[in-house]
Amino acid sequence: MLLEVRDLHVEFRTRDGVAHAVNGVSYEVDAGQTLAVLGESGSGKSVTAQAVMGILDTPPGRITGGRILFQGQDLLTIREEERRRIRGAGMAMIFQDALSALNPVLSVGDQLGEMFVVHRGMSKRDARARAVELMDRVRIPAAAQRVRDYPHQFSGGMRQRIMIAMALALEPALVIADEPTTALDVTVQAQVMDLLAELRREYRMGLILITHDLGVVADVADRIAVMYAGKIVESAPVHDIYKAPAHPYTRGLLDSIPRLDQKGRELYAIKGLPPNLTHIPPGCSFHPRCPMARDVCRTDVPPLYEAGEARGSACHFWRECLHDH
Amino acid sequence: MGRYVVRRLLQMIPVFIGATLLIFLMVNVMGDPIAGLCGERACDPATTAQLEKEFGLDKPLWQQYLTYMGNVFTGDFGTAFNGQQVTELMATAFPVTIRLTIVAVLFEIVIGVTLGVVTGMRRGRPVDTSVLLATLVVISVPTFVTGLLLQLLLGVQWKWIKPSVSPDAALGELIVPGLVLASVSLAYVTRLTRTSIAENKRSDYVRTAVAKGLPRHRVVTRHLLRNSLIPVITFIGTDIGALMGGAIVTERIFNIHGVGYQLYQGILRHNTQTVVGFVTVLVLVFLVANLLVDLLYAVLDPRIRYA
Amino acid sequence: MPEQPYEPERAVAGTGMGGAMDLGASEAVTLEQGPGGPEGTGPVGRPRSLWSDAWRDLRRNPVFIVSALVILFLVFISLWPSAIASGSPLTCDLAKAQDGPGPGAPFGYDGQGCNVYTRTVYGARTSVTVGVLATLGVALLGSVLGGLAGYFGGLPDSVLSRVTDIFFAIPVVLGGLVLLSVVTSNTVWPVIGFMVLLGWPQISRIARGSVITAKQNDYVQAARALGASDARILLRHIAPNAVAPVIVVATIALGTYIALEATLSYLGVGLKPPSVSWGIDISAASPYIRNAPHALLWPSGALAITVLAFIMLGDAVRDALDPKLR
Repeated sequence: MLLEVRDLHVEFRTRDGVAHAVNGVSYEVDAGQTLAVLGESGSGKSVTAQAVMGILDTPPGRITGGRILFQGQDLLTIREEERRRIRGAGMAMIFQDALSALNPVLSVGDQLGEMFVVHRGMSKRDARARAVELMDRVRIPAAAQRVRDYPHQFSGGMRQRIMIAMALALEPALVIADEPTTALDVTVQAQVMDLLAELRREYRMGLILITHDLGVVADVADRIAVMYAGKIVESAPVHDIYKAPAHPYTRGLLDSIPRLDQKGRELYAIKGLPPNLTHIPPGCSFHPRCPMARDVCRTDVPPLYEAGEARGSACHFWRECLHDH
Repeated sequence: MGRYVVRRLLQMIPVFIGATLLIFLMVNVMGDPIAGLCGERACDPATTAQLEKEFGLDKPLWQQYLTYMGNVFTGDFGTAFNGQQVTELMATAFPVTIRLTIVAVLFEIVIGVTLGVVTGMRRGRPVDTSVLLATLVVISVPTFVTGLLLQLLLGVQWKWIKPSVSPDAALGELIVPGLVLASVSLAYVTRLTRTSIAENKRSDYVRTAVAKGLPRHRVVTRHLLRNSLIPVITFIGTDIGALMGGAIVTERIFNIHGVGYQLYQGILRHNTQTVVGFVTVLVLVFLVANLLVDLLYAVLDPRIRYA
Repeated sequence: MPEQPYEPERAVAGTGMGGAMDLGASEAVTLEQGPGGPEGTGPVGRPRSLWSDAWRDLRRNPVFIVSALVILFLVFISLWPSAIASGSPLTCDLAKAQDGPGPGAPFGYDGQGCNVYTRTVYGARTSVTVGVLATLGVALLGSVLGGLAGYFGGLPDSVLSRVTDIFFAIPVVLGGLVLLSVVTSNTVWPVIGFMVLLGWPQISRIARGSVITAKQNDYVQAARALGASDARILLRHIAPNAVAPVIVVATIALGTYIALEATLSYLGVGLKPPSVSWGIDISAASPYIRNAPHALLWPSGALAITVLAFIMLGDAVRDALDPKLR
């Protein structure tokens, strides 16, 4: 197994109390596999990814439990220096907003080349040559000239390509893409997504795709993990989920995708708001918003029930949910 | 870029004229330019009339200003109260004040930026809180009080320095006065650097740099510092003009014969030509320093484009 | 932002919920834009105004409480100095010159044999008067000129910008020396007048900037579209939103005006004896610095604490009004 996250807990100390951002998340990614992590803002999907990358802001963040095994090695117990060598070379991250994620005062060539200088000990000249190759690889026109340009001189789509190039520079075994297309125009989103999928196949990388958009994952993901209030509420192969969700939250997400065949109908929206992470509701944390909630949901925390082959659902009534569909 | 510089230079003209005219008016309208010329006593009417004619003071003020500025542009800044050419006074005074300013700027860079980086990286820790408090105190204590206290402690009590600076004003003698002159700005530089570092430390691109697996020192120097120091450099640049103009208090405390000293003498003796001459040069220094800072800004931050 | 099939981000914006997430996650981008900010506690975001929010913050801020108490005390002794100091600051006895502390004179005597304690207490009045009046003048003149220029733009705005540039080019202490060196009146008014004359551009720049920002708000555009007059828009819609930065800068400036008055008096061009001012006392004590340092230290300390109190107050108010800086 390339990456295994086991029962991860992360909390943040805030002025208003301790926010429980991640509460026992487990997932795994195999080489060449794509896992899509889905959830609303504040569901803990990005925080989990940051914990895996080791870029969590500590303080205020704190990992309070769990293990993160990367190629069999527990990242939470090794020294920071070893951890640093893995970052960028063994696993890399693509951020949502390339404009703010790229350093505004360094040329893109410098920022790409830096990977080779630091991790591979290359000379600046060789690194610059590799940067041009990379920019070519992600299909940036006139790469040799543009390598001297600064991030603000590129379009949004081009910037995100540079971001991807930077993540893939050292051909890492695992790439985490945190909402890689959210900040882009719709027309560009598909191009960037296709490029990412293509490169992933070529390099046989494991990919964790973090998104709140169920629409984009159908084509690229192998598995889906749905997160809510810092927990995985459903985890399943992508086609099973689309066929029949085993959790009312997943169903809510699916129902709120606009579809051409249902044109003219009112769009479904999950009622209510995500919970405050300093005061997560007792029992099933989704119960205040759940159309199927019953008394037991208010008191008993549902475990991740085995809901079929390679499939889990954290709903007391997952059977009902599956059959209702 | 070239066009921008030209435009800025053109914009400087009205500011320059306005500022010098303002000082010219203040000195002339508010004071009596020949009051100091007859020693301690007031001049008798006949002498007054003669002197007024001699200095062109019987002409309208705007004409006097034009004549004066015309002379200035040919390098004639007029005569000081002791009969010396104002340009001669400048030749001895400016090097002293420039040395003093250099010492002050060095203090701002070395101490201010260092403290700012240290506190910005450790925001909320004891070191941060105590430095922050110290900067507040330094900002609150007026420069002349800081100066007198340091003179009392270092010069009189502990005898580490001579309480007053010799006329040569060697660099070594200017260390404490330079620190006094820099004190308030130094505190501002510390706070500005701290805020800037703390803000940028949480920025996305610093997180990217960490995610790239860069060693910590590289993240800090190449990514964090480079970006955070842009506003600090701007501040220090614009401060140069303010330091030279504000040196008057420091120079008086430590008896330094620089620009402030000459200006003070000129003001006490109501010598128009000394005062307006020195202020004119100070205003020019201020304007040019500001222009240079703006140009430097474009070099440091590629996002800024001047057209 | 392009249309999204499903965008939960939007759903939570403005509720002031999920306060934790702004600390680390990229998901938080939209959370911070809510009026409640990342501060919200309750499950339901209750809209709070900037001012009540700021006041709630200030009451809990020890820096604010301490500096406000110091300032209240200063105002009190400016109004009734005789409440805590007996005798007149002008009654001096040369026989006691440079003496240390004695009965009725806990701070000792200065070079002229004046009671340092009494003079330090009475000196507060000058400082507070100059500081408060100069700040009021600067704030009024600066915000009216800057506000109008920012609102109407065009030629008056360009002219004002150039004029402020001119004032910024003149070093303050130097301007004070030139202007005040010829003044013979020994009252606070010339000093205040000078500070207003040279201080207003600072406030006018701030006011101009915040009016321009406020002017672009949708509700101002809406009010204009509904035919509200300029005066009404300025007073009812723009002023309340533009006034916060002016208050912050003015509070901090108040401290610096007090320091400036002392500096000018020290240089001999502000107030002159027999006026009572900390600057005068510090200046008078500096020749005796070896023998009677107490005559220098007490008024210096009083001056520093006063300036510090106003600067800290301004700092606290700024922190409370600008949640972004936290």
